[in-house]
Amino acid sequence: MSRRLSLLSVLVLSASLLAPSAPRGPAVPRAGVVSSADTSKRGSVLVNISKVPKTVEVNLTAAVARMSLQPGVVSEVFAYNGRVPGPTLDVREGDQVIVHFRNDLPEPTTVHWHGIHLPFDSDGSPFHPIKPGETHTYIFTVRPGSAGTYWYHPHPDARTGFAIGKGLFGGIIIRSADDPLPASMPDKLLILSDNRFLADGTVDFPDPSSHHGAIDENNGREGPVLFVNGQVMPTIEIRSGEIQRWRIVNASAGRIYRLALAGQSVLQVGSDGGLFEKPVEVKDILLTTGERVELLVRGNGVPGTKTVLQNLPYDRYAPQTRPKDWQTIRDLLTLQTTNDAPVSSPVIPVTLRKVVPLDTTKVTAVRTVTFSQGLINGKTMDMARVDVSTHVGATEIWQIENIVGMDHPFHMHGFQFQVLDRDGVPEPYRAWKDMLNIPKHSTARIIVRYDDYPGKWMFHCHILDHEDHGMMGVLEVK
Amino acid sequence: MHRPTRPHSSLYLRSLLSIFVAAACTAAPGSSYSSGASNGMSATAGTQAQVARGRELVITHGCGDCHGGGANPAAFGWLDGVRDTIVQEFHIGPFVTRPKNLTPDNTTGTGRFSERQLFNALRYGLRPEETPDVHITSTVPGQGNFPLHPHYLAVPMPWPAFRHLPDQDLWAIAAYLKTGVKPVSHRVKDSDGPPDFWAGEYTVEKIGTRPAPPYPTANETGR
Repeated sequence: MSRRLSLLSVLVLSASLLAPSAPRGPAVPRAGVVSSADTSKRGSVLVNISKVPKTVEVNLTAAVARMSLQPGVVSEVFAYNGRVPGPTLDVREGDQVIVHFRNDLPEPTTVHWHGIHLPFDSDGSPFHPIKPGETHTYIFTVRPGSAGTYWYHPHPDARTGFAIGKGLFGGIIIRSADDPLPASMPDKLLILSDNRFLADGTVDFPDPSSHHGAIDENNGREGPVLFVNGQVMPTIEIRSGEIQRWRIVNASAGRIYRLALAGQSVLQVGSDGGLFEKPVEVKDILLTTGERVELLVRGNGVPGTKTVLQNLPYDRYAPQTRPKDWQTIRDLLTLQTTNDAPVSSPVIPVTLRKVVPLDTTKVTAVRTVTFSQGLINGKTMDMARVDVSTHVGATEIWQIENIVGMDHPFHMHGFQFQVLDRDGVPEPYRAWKDMLNIPKHSTARIIVRYDDYPGKWMFHCHILDHEDHGMMGVLEVK
Repeated sequence: MHRPTRPHSSLYLRSLLSIFVAAACTAAPGSSYSSGASNGMSATAGTQAQVARGRELVITHGCGDCHGGGANPAAFGWLDGVRDTIVQEFHIGPFVTRPKNLTPDNTTGTGRFSERQLFNALRYGLRPEETPDVHITSTVPGQGNFPLHPHYLAVPMPWPAFRHLPDQDLWAIAAYLKTGVKPVSHRVKDSDGPPDFWAGEYTVEKIGTRPAPPYPTANETGR
């Protein structure tokens, strides 16, 4: 607590000094201060081709491309609009989003808008594959209150890990008109991924029946090369005293990151479904697969100094397949303090927004979902089977039990939930979530309300090899 | 909906495959084994007689010697897993393996496994943690619901011997564990093991076939 207070005092928290957020134009990149030495920004933004107010209409194509994922080696990849990561979808609450998608891949695909509350037929789940050469228009309206960081990626049956590993993933930023954080604050999207390559630079997907294939299937495919926005060890520049807003997405297949900025703590201000009620000071952050965090990072260094964002060891593994080097600390990016004179830090509001708790007295069903290795309730997925049947308007508690010795990250499509407790310990603060890591031999309880949008929604382990193996269930909302 | 077809190409698996093919071929119809409920379902699930038979088998097969309680169902720690790490843990090469909690506790025992998963553990050595609740019709990896990458119970669990029990006896053991024993919340630390989940230890060369070769073998008199 003392550490928290010390940082809070540095940030001069004051609700009374809360700056009104400046009005912003439609869908523009807000990458913050980017100088020539700042190598963190390479992505682009999907261009809005609509002239209609509150409408974002974009073109998105998935296709084979030849480019360099691994530094210095060109190989065949899959790319959205020719980029890895794909261009960012940058929208505002209330916008109608129209995505004209074209599949130029040699295999069926979908685009799943991870974490977004939208109609079933726009979810891009395995129920709606798009064949090679075909097009599909995804349409959804961005719900008020959903401002936050999301991502999009393929979700075809049994091929998600392959398609994402080949390069198909991109970020989504939803902005609100009344964002409590200062509009002047540099805002950076950092998409974390890892990959493994063969000597010729092609992405290494071992034969599933091989020993390495079995290891990948058990652990989730990990690679030794760690990327931030498709770059290895990029540099972010920060001015001494400046505070930047970092939106971090874990797009890795299996790797769970334990992030820490060497030598300083940061403020976590949000998670999957947007901002918390209050900032929370953290020394390190566990970021499970598919999960997002929003952090406020202060330039604590004196001009000219630098620090690194690191991935600290975290044992998510089963003992049989735990990598020998799992305890190695890995650097992800350099945070370079510029030579500019220090600036005074902006004011961070004490209260960010209200996160209204879902009402436990309205719960109509309590369900138990048991995760074992590659299985949910002892079964692999059958798309012809409905595992959980419910109705629009229902509020439910799900008790998610992990009964095996490896972490499994839980993801529910279509609906954001709130965590009630983990192993009986009440969640210390409320947040909207669509990802929740369920550590080995632990149990968490979540509460979810199916506000609208009937359909068949997936819930699954977000270790991509596990979901492709069938560690997934079908939730039908009628 | 089907999971992706996975080719068998590595030498490692090819050798394993041939072993299992051999094993499958020897399991010819008309063997002396009682097939019991060959549809993979327990025919008499949970009857008192079945539970009593299961109890008898658990006692006589020494389950409690490793899993707790010895041969005494009244003993403290009956089947609830390692409590004495010196007596009950095993050191197999670099790995420590630990007899699990067999009581039907939901989070620390067998409560979330079906009787069929327990049957498959005893018949095929497949860990219920990783093997779905399905009827297995083959011993060839990737076929007949036999996992492509079988994850076996840690050594020295004597499933290669127990698998020779008739179906109904294995179902009886499963029924006793699931319904005849009270759940005890007792977490046993996960066993270590090789990344092949002991597949290299359970080759036909090492554990023989099921059914066993016809009597008499060279070791036997034939009388």
